[in-house]
Amino acid sequence: MGNSSSSGRGHHDETVDYGALVPQGVYTGPKDWNQPIVSQLIVARKLAPFYRPLEDYEESWDEDQILAARKELPDPDSADSVTRIEATASSHRSKRPPSVREPSRADALVYRGAVECPICFLYYPPNINHSRCCDQAICTECFVQIKRAEPTTTHIVSEPAACPYCVQDNFGVVYNPPPWRAGLGSEGSSTLWADPPRSTEPSAPPTHKRRQKSFGADSPEVVTTDQIRPDWEAKLDAVRAAVARRANRRIIMRQVGDRLIPVGVTSGRVHALTPEEAAAAGADANGSRRSRRRQAAQGAPLEQFMGMAGQDLEELMLMEAMRLSLLDHEEHQRKEAEEKKKQDAAAAAGQGSSGAEGASASEAPGPSSPGPSSLAIHSAAPSSSDLISSASSTTPSPRNADSRDSLAPARKSWSLSRSRTPPPPPANPAANVPISEENQAAWRSRAAGPPAFSTLSAALTATSTAAAFLGSAPASRSITPEPRARTPVPSITVGGKQPEAAPVASSSGLSVDIGAARASGSSLFTGGAPLESADLASATSVESGEMGAGVGASYDSLHSSPASRASSLEHERLLDRSTPDSDVSKVGGRPNTAEVAYLEEASR
Amino acid sequence: MASISSRRLAKELREIQAEGCPVGISLVEANDFSKWVFTIQVMGDSLYQDEVHTLQFRFDPQYPISSPAVQFVVTDGKQAPIHPHVYSNGHICASILGNEWSPVLSVIAVCVTLQSMLASCKKKERPADNDRYVKHAPENPKKTLFHYDDDTV
Repeated sequence: MGNSSSSGRGHHDETVDYGALVPQGVYTGPKDWNQPIVSQLIVARKLAPFYRPLEDYEESWDEDQILAARKELPDPDSADSVTRIEATASSHRSKRPPSVREPSRADALVYRGAVECPICFLYYPPNINHSRCCDQAICTECFVQIKRAEPTTTHIVSEPAACPYCVQDNFGVVYNPPPWRAGLGSEGSSTLWADPPRSTEPSAPPTHKRRQKSFGADSPEVVTTDQIRPDWEAKLDAVRAAVARRANRRIIMRQVGDRLIPVGVTSGRVHALTPEEAAAAGADANGSRRSRRRQAAQGAPLEQFMGMAGQDLEELMLMEAMRLSLLDHEEHQRKEAEEKKKQDAAAAAGQGSSGAEGASASEAPGPSSPGPSSLAIHSAAPSSSDLISSASSTTPSPRNADSRDSLAPARKSWSLSRSRTPPPPPANPAANVPISEENQAAWRSRAAGPPAFSTLSAALTATSTAAAFLGSAPASRSITPEPRARTPVPSITVGGKQPEAAPVASSSGLSVDIGAARASGSSLFTGGAPLESADLASATSVESGEMGAGVGASYDSLHSSPASRASSLEHERLLDRSTPDSDVSKVGGRPNTAEVAYLEEASR
Repeated sequence: MASISSRRLAKELREIQAEGCPVGISLVEANDFSKWVFTIQVMGDSLYQDEVHTLQFRFDPQYPISSPAVQFVVTDGKQAPIHPHVYSNGHICASILGNEWSPVLSVIAVCVTLQSMLASCKKKERPADNDRYVKHAPENPKKTLFHYDDDTV
């Protein structure tokens, strides 16, 4: 008698006060709580051990009846080693066959005054957990089942589990251990049971006195459901990140001459790329998940996307709309250039002006706007219609000049990227561009859709024009510092103004913040044509001739399309989101164009 | 070994058989621990005088941690009560069957709650979005994410 704790040392190393550290099979679902933490809490007497429950209990029962009422254990396969040991012992401890009687008695005695758990309707020793808030009993088996609802991408909140009894938030329990100790944490002195066997203590188990106060969720006595599932926050963060990634996707806009043209969609993470990462991604297209994804999009035929899920199709359509917009822009550019050329030829005959100067002049109609990129972004554009009308005219507004002046840093980074020598006409541009930005540009251009790609490679081919361009006035991007569009139209986020955004922005051009509209899709492709505007501008005269006409019509219709036509794409949300790292100036109106174009295309 | 679900349901059943159901509620069928059927009737003055409706419970193995799937039976000539929270396909928009389910609740507790939901109804009408919902509703009402907007009815 009484050798349960001493002689059963080996076994009791895995028990606490005659209960187990692991569940006894009341529930069969996944054990998604942190079992080591639960075990620790049990050993620390902050959580009741997992006792084998009694199917029923009567005060008048003797020990044998109690032990007989103990719940059969589940098949050993689903239990771990500790449970298995007990499973093989019916009412006896297998570890000590010669002296089974005594430990059994102790095992039975703990059940004196057993209480029913109101959730599983099984009986447990009276030293059971109680809810911190309303002091209701709950067994450990049931407690570990209670958890937060898993967050999903459509429901991104994770409320703490509520008390099943009183529905108070932050469910937690308090455990009052018995005055004696046995097994783990008894420090070898757990003799209370051994010496005065069946004395007052077993027969008079500690009765639970209804306490007056409830415990706060952060009381040291309390074990909350979050404590045994410390990963809940990580899970929530993961879902949040996934959603944010989708929502942060942007259209990459290229500024060419007086226009902003959409050339691609970022993965939503592009703004977080460091130059090193970008270089790595460019150098080793197979290296990372990200680059694989980009590669999947690169140069793939349209039909390949058509079979994809709706969200991918949506992105594809957007991309197509951008392509059309680009073509239209090229057409516009071409006409303009032709006009300019005629004028120049007439006005400045005999000056020996090169094609470059011609092109440059076409881009810079006013003395105050020397670069090819002055007109599209309108710092204070109060409405999309205003913006569009001014954008479609080639007259720079005085405000543009102002905003340009205020953006010295942006200009700087832009000139840097412009200062590279245009590559020779390569089949694969990436092979010829050693610098990281150039690499990024290369793979981005490859990632663009096939038509855009051909356009861009044509742009690369047109080196003479581009070179001339580069030699011309230092680039001045009219990035507008006006932080917020005042009208509820989606905003363009212009990268490159702030230093941390420079690596990406300087090569990718402007990004339009339409992410939310695309939030439903996965980020399939990224990047568009991070070629410099000079290249692109020159490309217009190369390529636009054959494709311009049909597209121009649709583009024109865009201008008259009210923003509300694209309202289903959740514009409002765009304004709410701040984009800390690649942000910047927001200009109303333009994204509408892209999106309306997308709709136009979709309805065709 | 029996799962927690059947273990607990066995106890609930035993209790029902020992103590009987509350007035107006009677157990029709409980042949196993996956589906039970009750009839439910509103006693006293109400819009549902003399109406008897059939309520079906389905339990998954995680009951009572997970809520039962509860709906009115609308087959074999039976009809769901006309109530702003009861769709014509028998699905019920009640928070205790969804996000406010607590493992402390029992089958009988759900019956009593629904009974009182009917009893307190002021106007017999279908939910506003009944047709749309019924058209697309999943077979199991637990798969619907209801928006609980009205605590008063």
